[in-house]
Amino acid sequence: MFESILLPDLLLLAFPFIVIGSRLFCDFRSAFPWRVANIGFILIFIMLNMIPLASGEGHFFIFNWRLDDFGVLMREVFMVSAILGIWLSKDYFEHGADGKPQMHQIAEYIGAIAFATFGAFTVVSACDLLTFFLGLEIATIPMYALTAWNKKDQMGSEAATKYILMGSVATAFELFGFSYLYGFSGSLFFNDIASAVATNSTSPLLWVSILFLFSGIGFKLTLFPFYTWAPDVYEGAPTPVTAVLSVTSKATAIAFLAVLVFGPLAAVQEQMSPLIALLAATTLLVGNLGALKQTRLRRFMAYSSISQAGYIMIALLGPAEIGKSAIVYYMFIYAVANYLAFFVFGIIGHHREETFASLRGLSKQNPALAIALAIAMFSLAGIPPLAGFFGKFHLFFAGATTGHYFLVAFAVINNVLALFYYIQLIKSAWIDEPEGTLSSLRLNRRQRLIIIMLSIAVVALGFVPFLSNNIFAGFTF
Amino acid sequence: METVLFNLIWFLPLLAVLVCVPIPSTQIKTIKTIHVATESLILLLVGYLVYSMYTASGTPANSAAAPLLLHYFTDIPWLSMFNAHYIVGADALNILLLFLTAVIVWTGILVSWNIKGNQKVYFALIQLLATSVYGVFMSFDLVLFFVFYEMEALCMYLMIAGYGSGRKDYGGKKLTLTLALGSSMILATLFGFYFEGGIQSWSIVELSKVTLPMDFQMWAFPLLFMGFAVSSSLFPFHFWSPDGHSAAPTAVSMLAAGVMMKMGAYGCLRVAMFLMPEAAKIWLPYVVLLLIFNVVVGPFIAIRHKDLKYITAYSSISHLGLIFLGLAALTPVGLRGATLQMISHGFLTGLFFATIGMIYERTHTRDITQMGGIMRKMPFLGVGFVIAGFAGLGLPGFSGFIAESTIFIGAFSCESTWVRIVTILAILSITTTAVYILQTANRMLHGEMPAKYESLTDGSFREKLVIVILVLCLLFIGIFPTWISEFLDQSIAPIFENISRANITAIGG
Repeated sequence: MFESILLPDLLLLAFPFIVIGSRLFCDFRSAFPWRVANIGFILIFIMLNMIPLASGEGHFFIFNWRLDDFGVLMREVFMVSAILGIWLSKDYFEHGADGKPQMHQIAEYIGAIAFATFGAFTVVSACDLLTFFLGLEIATIPMYALTAWNKKDQMGSEAATKYILMGSVATAFELFGFSYLYGFSGSLFFNDIASAVATNSTSPLLWVSILFLFSGIGFKLTLFPFYTWAPDVYEGAPTPVTAVLSVTSKATAIAFLAVLVFGPLAAVQEQMSPLIALLAATTLLVGNLGALKQTRLRRFMAYSSISQAGYIMIALLGPAEIGKSAIVYYMFIYAVANYLAFFVFGIIGHHREETFASLRGLSKQNPALAIALAIAMFSLAGIPPLAGFFGKFHLFFAGATTGHYFLVAFAVINNVLALFYYIQLIKSAWIDEPEGTLSSLRLNRRQRLIIIMLSIAVVALGFVPFLSNNIFAGFTF
Repeated sequence: METVLFNLIWFLPLLAVLVCVPIPSTQIKTIKTIHVATESLILLLVGYLVYSMYTASGTPANSAAAPLLLHYFTDIPWLSMFNAHYIVGADALNILLLFLTAVIVWTGILVSWNIKGNQKVYFALIQLLATSVYGVFMSFDLVLFFVFYEMEALCMYLMIAGYGSGRKDYGGKKLTLTLALGSSMILATLFGFYFEGGIQSWSIVELSKVTLPMDFQMWAFPLLFMGFAVSSSLFPFHFWSPDGHSAAPTAVSMLAAGVMMKMGAYGCLRVAMFLMPEAAKIWLPYVVLLLIFNVVVGPFIAIRHKDLKYITAYSSISHLGLIFLGLAALTPVGLRGATLQMISHGFLTGLFFATIGMIYERTHTRDITQMGGIMRKMPFLGVGFVIAGFAGLGLPGFSGFIAESTIFIGAFSCESTWVRIVTILAILSITTTAVYILQTANRMLHGEMPAKYESLTDGSFREKLVIVILVLCLLFIGIFPTWISEFLDQSIAPIFENISRANITAIGG
């Protein structure tokens, strides 16, 4: 029983070595490691889907590894992100893009992504602080390396330096918060902490620790006022890494918070709600305001993802089942829509610079791509019937369950601001006339397939009740 | 059987879009034929349903939907996470609004036959827009309703900015963002219905049976009502409409002014007033204050404008103000007038924008000072425009007269002196309406004709067909008003009952 449930985790742990090892059997430029990675990741994803979602408390392995519904579903989100991430990356190892030279060592690159994904797995499985912290670090450290993967690109190195410095400060904050939590409860285990929190919920030690924990994770989740690194890092990193950062890293951070808020800190969730609400409101406002005047696509996506983080925070206000299922559902939808946008940007970036100006004339040159872009943007903006709307509806529903109507109203009205800048981007692609003649845009078969699949997913995952009902069923039985 | 047909209404346009996806854009003829055929089918379908519902008037409607007299009631669980259901149905008001939509979409497609740009995408967007509007007038579940209601924003911007004229990006953004603001105001209150209603349901039918807590109603009603009123361009949210309409291509203007602006008024009636009657009684007198701008100031602004579409937009603003006057009066006659005006104004403004679009296609200007004497060259279009104008100023024989006089009677029978004063002002403002309509028709159609217009031609068969159909609809309501009034009364009765119930509880509590 345990073996079959743990198999995906074990396989993923061994996976970086398999991929890097596969380099021994092939040519330096061969796509063999990429194919191996594909088979492996998809296999893991299928195995995760076969784990029955009816486990209640979850299964424990040894003493610090737990597999519950939230864990399994978030694992699926991470795997989706990893699979799409390597598909997006493939082209960047074949030729340069966006004025940056071509990247090398695809096997090690995929290994790093697999490690980061395993770290994310650890975060959602941990049931003591130490494992929890280790998971977060395993998820973050490969990201530093990935950011600077393009060795010949100075911007990338600068971004990575910035990211490492900021990230280490955040780690220090978290460790400090953990140490207070340990000092307060006298144990590293979530169960003991939860009972200690329930009995003594007003202790200043606890609240100092909560403050530090939120500050620490605020860096990773790009919450206000800790978001300032994100635009620079997103801009400097190679495009596929930016996509992975904005999905896997964000999903890890929000899973971390969900585990904490609905786990050990569940007893003080209500007292924390003003803090969460304030962080959510300021983050989404700042993200939206920041995105208004951007001209570079990746910087724009950075601010967009900052505001998305604000929206996700709203789900933490709800009751555990609704909040968690809202987070899982939203992360699925967000991953799909975000990757769709990045795939389109990537294709543009292979031929031109990644700016708003390069999108001009897209609707005339390649209508399918322009439609895909509009679908992605409208979905991120939360316009029905696209999936993004239903994702946000889940989040708002979770917030409204505990009566936070004011915050929901604020978030919803902020959506208008968001719609403005997403429309700005659609305008570039659909309305603006190009300057001079356009270099041709060629899509290879892989790109065409993935763009069609993701577009259909973004359109259908919302109103077709399959995904949301399944996720919800997982939490109720 | 009829229930299945009814459910097809919103699905058929989507199907048409899906069918057209694999057809290459070079074969645009086939694509257009598919779209016209679909819309004709829907028009026939809705026409048949109107007929069958009218003949079935005496028989009891679906008992699951009581107190509403809903036919074709369908209720299927949809998203289990928040208990959203797929609930559709129709009573007299819904089915007539659906008929209006079918006519406007059908004529809209015919009008934009030769639109410039990527036609394949354009017609797909029109069909998506049609889906959203059909859906709004069918759904009785708040989530479903909202999904359809906001879907319009997706198509609107792309159509205006991609295929419009003049300041199209500005107009498109202004329209879409203002409508999105309205939608967000609605969405902000929707959750309250679910949690404060105490029955954890989004169904309009179920929610109408409970009395929502007063403290929720008091803040939610103005937000919800104004949210819907944004798309009906009630002051102070009227500003999107002139810029939006003037930038939009003809068919979009027709759809926006003819149908979409009714969605707002319909939402005010069906959701805001029906579900929160207690708060409606308290807040609606303030709405009367707002609509003074629409009804009295709107026509004066129209006099000063030179652009045909601006004139029509302000005329729409003033006519929609009358709908709100009928709603705010809170009398059965007033409500009947408001619903009549929704339908009548839909055909009327459709005709207005259709003729303007056809004239603009030929003259390439909408400035009335640049035009003159075009009646000699295109008598058919000229007459169409004049008929629309006369119907707009309430000439007896056209639907406008019936609707407006019903509203005035209904509003004047309201006990509040304040409403009566506004009613008198509104009646007087018809004179202003007459001024701008006659002035426009005169400048445009008569007088010296610029030499460059010598080669202009009158409407083609397709264009004449559009005008004839719309004029027939206007005349039909105008000449046989009892039929439609009695039909509409069936759907107003339950709404009014809810509002009267509020009166009793207010006195009792």
